[in-house]
Amino acid sequence: MIRRLLDAVTGRLSPRTVQNLRSEFDTSPLTKVGVGILVVVLVTAVFAPLLAPWNPEAQNLDRSQQPPLGFTRAENQTTQETVDGEVQLIQETVQVNATVAHPLGTDGLGRDMLSRVVYGARTSLVVGVLGTLLAMLVGVPVGLVAGYYKGRVDDALMRVADVSLAFPSLVLAIALVGLFGQAAVEVPDPLVTTGLAAAIRGVTSLPGGLAYPTGMPATFTLPGTVILVVGIVNWVWFARVARGEALGVRDEEYVKAARSLGGPDRFIIRRHVFPNSITPVLVLATIQIAAIVLLESALSFLGFSGTTLSWGFDIAQGRQYQTTSWWIAAMPGLAIVLTVIGINLVGDWLRDALDPGIEGEGGGV
Amino acid sequence: MSTPLLEVADLKKYYTDDIGLVDRVLGTETTDVRAVDGVSFSVQRGETLGLVGESGCGKSTTGETLLALEEATDGDVRFDGASVFEMADDARTEFRQRAQVVFQDPFSSLDPRMTAGEAIAEPLVVHDIGDSETRRAEAKELLERVGLAADQVDRYPHEFSGGQRQRIGIARALALDPEFLVLDEPVSALDVSVQAQILNLLEDLQSEFGLTYLFIAHDLSVIRHICDRVAVMYLGEIVERGPVDAIFESPQHPYTEKLLESVPRADTSERGRRVDALEGDVPSPRDPPAGCRFHTRCPYAREACRADPPDDYDAETTGQQVACFRALDDHPYWESEPIERAAASDGERRRTDD
Repeated sequence: MIRRLLDAVTGRLSPRTVQNLRSEFDTSPLTKVGVGILVVVLVTAVFAPLLAPWNPEAQNLDRSQQPPLGFTRAENQTTQETVDGEVQLIQETVQVNATVAHPLGTDGLGRDMLSRVVYGARTSLVVGVLGTLLAMLVGVPVGLVAGYYKGRVDDALMRVADVSLAFPSLVLAIALVGLFGQAAVEVPDPLVTTGLAAAIRGVTSLPGGLAYPTGMPATFTLPGTVILVVGIVNWVWFARVARGEALGVRDEEYVKAARSLGGPDRFIIRRHVFPNSITPVLVLATIQIAAIVLLESALSFLGFSGTTLSWGFDIAQGRQYQTTSWWIAAMPGLAIVLTVIGINLVGDWLRDALDPGIEGEGGGV
Repeated sequence: MSTPLLEVADLKKYYTDDIGLVDRVLGTETTDVRAVDGVSFSVQRGETLGLVGESGCGKSTTGETLLALEEATDGDVRFDGASVFEMADDARTEFRQRAQVVFQDPFSSLDPRMTAGEAIAEPLVVHDIGDSETRRAEAKELLERVGLAADQVDRYPHEFSGGQRQRIGIARALALDPEFLVLDEPVSALDVSVQAQILNLLEDLQSEFGLTYLFIAHDLSVIRHICDRVAVMYLGEIVERGPVDAIFESPQHPYTEKLLESVPRADTSERGRRVDALEGDVPSPRDPPAGCRFHTRCPYAREACRADPPDDYDAETTGQQVACFRALDDHPYWESEPIERAAASDGERRRTDD
């Protein structure tokens, strides 16, 4: 299945690149782990309304702070009892047991952690991917132009980049959120609004014979400001990498050849400089997605994201319960760690397979 | 003689150090690298002019500058009577169609992400000639013309050998049906047997399409094989020029003489011949020697060579032009003292900035 997916994605690349990707994928077990993790996270994010056992926003105070499977939580309870007409306070320690209905436990308001982690994947990936795309969209053209023209154009553009780099990204992000406000967009969830989720969930049941709850959130909160912010904060990296590549490519003889044909600069940048600079940019993109997932979590943790359904937000919530219910923060934390590891492994794979040093060389003399 | 197709007059290309803003504000002084320093020559229609010299002498820069790929510092280039540097956009576009270049490195001159067909058709795309189908047909035709198969049109550069890539580079240069080709060391990266094939191909194409070549090379045997006339460059200047046979039979300039001597010859009588190689390295073009630029390495150098740079003098019988006082019978050179040079003058050798 994974192989077929890869084939579809790599159809547009040069045969040599595809061959490198294949052999690297086949020989490196870490790559398989990375791709596996990423596919799981992707599927989880896309099919969240089908996979989440509960509505992630549904509160149930009777079941708050339930531990995950395999753990118990000791709770001190004070009860009043009337003994011989006198009111007595009785202190006792109650063991709260895990239930199959909430395999990862519940948070302080009794919301199912598994469902929240599943839905959090959506926020993280959407912000990670869209934020990276935005950063690329700004950074790559700037970098290519700077590297291709060199000289003053380069000086001017790269000074702007340096200035952006001088701000700590988190501080800049917070400042920008303050500037733009929290523009969270409610996007209808097609799986829910079409009734598909309800229909599928209606015919299955939870372990333990419980009915599968069917009321899932009809919309998904897209943290627009966060995407904008991470794009603005991270474009510099793409600009720098693209510039470095363009500096090398501009002196290649095929660029000179195109210039000697009278090709306009825009034509040359689009046709020669861009395709030959893009490989390291793609590798950087994977690393940036991971960084942006972390940045989104940090922003959510600080309460700047505008969504209440993200891994970072849950970690922030879990902080209050750290001493009694560690899983509230730990489960989304684990999800972040796994996702970032997965993305980085995929990034390593791309880096090894698309190394520009290999590209274009060899070829039987 | 008719008007030459290409006339280069006192062409100069200096490279200025790319200094930072701080240095610019502080007024830090930089010395230019004089890659090409007053080069003049002309190329007649249908002939092949060889431009020869050591690496770093500015021959490739000359080629690129006269095609306006690099901005000239000074001087003029006239192509078919019109100044290349002062052309309006229309004329420049036409010039770009009529003058093409083939590069040295067959691995760098083709975009690794473009098929052979795309590379060859690129000139047609740039000048908006034909549609994708006619371009493809044209690319196939050109592939066959340069000795490759038409069905290789969809292959990528890495699937070709160095010689085949160079053929693709030549096909690309021919796509616009040009009159003038700058061949920038087109065979120096190839095996000797492949070199011969490419040289033969270039000769065939020249007679078939009536092409004019500027052939840049450091390999003298290649030059002798293909060129009609030769210009020898040393440190940004042309030191000698003339018909190819005259240059090879009776070199007038000491540098040409040494250059020819350094070529190994396939001849049994040559066995054990001590190659009387040139001493020292090429001086830095950032700070070329005063007077004759070759005097630091010249075996005949005298004090007069330090004082003034020689002009181009006509050699008496052979039709060459030589920038050396020795071509003149009555020059103060003959009276001045030879330059004393330490036997092992390593300390004086300056490194070249290549």
